[in-house]
Amino acid sequence: MKKTLVILLLISMLLPLSLFAAGTKEDKVDASKPVTVNYWTHEDPARTTLETELIEQFMKENPNITVVRTTNPSSKQIEVVQTAFAAKQGPDMFNLPIENQYAYISNGLVAPVDYQAAGYKNEQDLLDKYVDGVLDTVTVGGEVYGLPLELTNWAIYINKRVFRSVGLDAERDYPKTWEEMADISEKLVIRDGDILLRRGFDFRYPYYLEFFIPMVEQLGGDLLSADGKKAIIGDDAWIGALRFMQQWGPLGRNLGSPTYKNARSLFNQDNNDIAMTHSGLYQEARIKSDNPEFYDSMDWMVIPFPVFENAVRNVAACYYGHFFMVNADSDPAVQKAAWKLAGFMLSHGEDYLTRGGSIIQPTKALFASDTLKNMPYSQVFIDDMARAHMIYYGENSAQIQQHIRQAIESVMLSGESPEKAVATLRAAVQEVIDEQ
Amino acid sequence: MRTRKYRGIERKQARWGFLFVLPAMLFFSLFNFYPILNAFYTSFFNRKVLSRAKPAFVGLDNYARLFDISRAANPLSFYNSLKATITFTLGTFIPLLILSLILAVFISNLSSNRAKKFLQISYYAPAVLSSVVAASIWMIIFDPRGLANQWLNVLMRTPGVDRKWLVDPMMEQMSTMIIYFWKYIGYFVILFITGLASIPPTLYEAATIDGANKSQTFWRITLPLLKPTVVLVSVMSMLQCLKTFSTQYMLYTNGAPRAPINVITFNIYITGIQEQYLSRASAMSVVLFIIMMLLTLLQFKTTKSENVDY
Repeated sequence: MKKTLVILLLISMLLPLSLFAAGTKEDKVDASKPVTVNYWTHEDPARTTLETELIEQFMKENPNITVVRTTNPSSKQIEVVQTAFAAKQGPDMFNLPIENQYAYISNGLVAPVDYQAAGYKNEQDLLDKYVDGVLDTVTVGGEVYGLPLELTNWAIYINKRVFRSVGLDAERDYPKTWEEMADISEKLVIRDGDILLRRGFDFRYPYYLEFFIPMVEQLGGDLLSADGKKAIIGDDAWIGALRFMQQWGPLGRNLGSPTYKNARSLFNQDNNDIAMTHSGLYQEARIKSDNPEFYDSMDWMVIPFPVFENAVRNVAACYYGHFFMVNADSDPAVQKAAWKLAGFMLSHGEDYLTRGGSIIQPTKALFASDTLKNMPYSQVFIDDMARAHMIYYGENSAQIQQHIRQAIESVMLSGESPEKAVATLRAAVQEVIDEQ
Repeated sequence: MRTRKYRGIERKQARWGFLFVLPAMLFFSLFNFYPILNAFYTSFFNRKVLSRAKPAFVGLDNYARLFDISRAANPLSFYNSLKATITFTLGTFIPLLILSLILAVFISNLSSNRAKKFLQISYYAPAVLSSVVAASIWMIIFDPRGLANQWLNVLMRTPGVDRKWLVDPMMEQMSTMIIYFWKYIGYFVILFITGLASIPPTLYEAATIDGANKSQTFWRITLPLLKPTVVLVSVMSMLQCLKTFSTQYMLYTNGAPRAPINVITFNIYITGIQEQYLSRASAMSVVLFIIMMLLTLLQFKTTKSENVDY
């Protein structure tokens, strides 16, 4: 009896291991048979409506291809895709912000673009159709690994009514420098003691790679040296930018803080609790959908990303991309179908701009189109993009962003000196770089 | 001719018993035993989540890195996670234990059954909420313009003061403790009430006849006989506190600084999922597992007593 019990016990312990061993990805059908493309993307109601329509049309034109579109909240999408790939159960096609997506290329998890399937004659034809340099981000070893669903940069949205309430004319008095941004915010802010009831402007925490690195660059600093081997270049610039954030926070002039409700979502409501916020062109579609009255009033405007008064470089907020990528483990027939789908969807760039959430697909055709030029304030974004660069997208960019967040919060919320924060930040980021 | 073996009824029952628990064992093996073993194994390699390269064996390097004293100054180091975990556990588990016992005794002594039931349900209600929902409710309360500041400012006649619930490191730690305490107090109160109900009323009657007052009854009868429940609650609440995660996660994703609330489980999540260092995260899990095991053994040893028979 004892023996039987021991054997049964061992079987019960080992059975799950054998189940795990058998858990490999199921093979997909070959090219001649019907295929299913599992497409995972982040939530965006306007884009969902458009893509549902496009996918229906695509499936009609390609009856052997079934597309299953799955959405996740933006914050969850990164982890969901990563976990699925780690378990070899990744989607056939997906998109993520490039700073999170690049690791999929460097780890060989995604397949190079199938030019013909995506609707291009060859690689050169693809490169010719996109704005110069945009595809460099996803080009490794001469192969292009992604097609851009969107390219986004942030400018500053202003609520003119709030400006008027303190006797300012937004068209004339808008902030051109960060110093002016702080001074104007001081005029716009309404406090109950220490508590901010209305903020002038507030940053888009914690996306520091997008907006804080350019602020450091304006002062002459850099995240990495030109050869990518040294971290945190230019102490004075880093200390200056951190000191500005310290002054911005509750321990300084108390103009904003990461623990207040995020400014971008408050802005659309026009509830007199925020005057300015960071966002991309897509915000226009969101204002229109959340508060059409406010949108139609045109009591809002967009201004360029400010620079410091003593800036040595004129740099705007970094732009970032979401790219369509295809799982290298998917059946070749499924990969081909996925690239075909990506190419089809991206051939509707103007639809994405006008009714798909106001997102910009960086094709030369779209940049030259009247549709983009006629979007309110689109020129502000285009001009800012010209003085910006792609966000840092190394394999460990998420980790680096964590350390930058820690440095900013330590000076802004815990009262640490910018000098000490820079020293700690350098040690941490250098270690990340050395390990890469 | 085969002789028929004698099988006692106890043996037969034991076999049936084993068959009944087999599904649970399979379930446990699949979802607990395998991940534990796998974490131990993974902690000796340099595995990254998305890497396809075969992970290299690094021996105890991941553990050495965790306890590398030169990293202690980094606010996001494992040392600081240990500190944050200890602070949170002591700051939550001791008040949880003491106050849940006091509340249980108070509720058990109420004469009205309606009041008893009402209080039991009221205290237990937060326990059925998911941690994420609980933390979301408290995020609204702790907002600078939220109820926490408003009420305190009215009570203390300090208009416009921001207590910095989610900003100041100490207040942030206290906020996580308050959320956790609010969520779990009811659960432990119910456990204590169950323990109290199992003490025979004849003992109290005898004590009353002997002239014992309420305080003497509590210290001489209730508390000693409740010892097994106290041990159970203390072990469970301590383990719960050591495993805390979602409260810290919610606060962090809503803009609160990470360092003061970077408990080990949260550090595991950031290291393993966001930064993709699976082996390092596994090493942290193993250390947490060992800490939990040692503390549980220590608690059992220090509170070990003979079985209570009534």
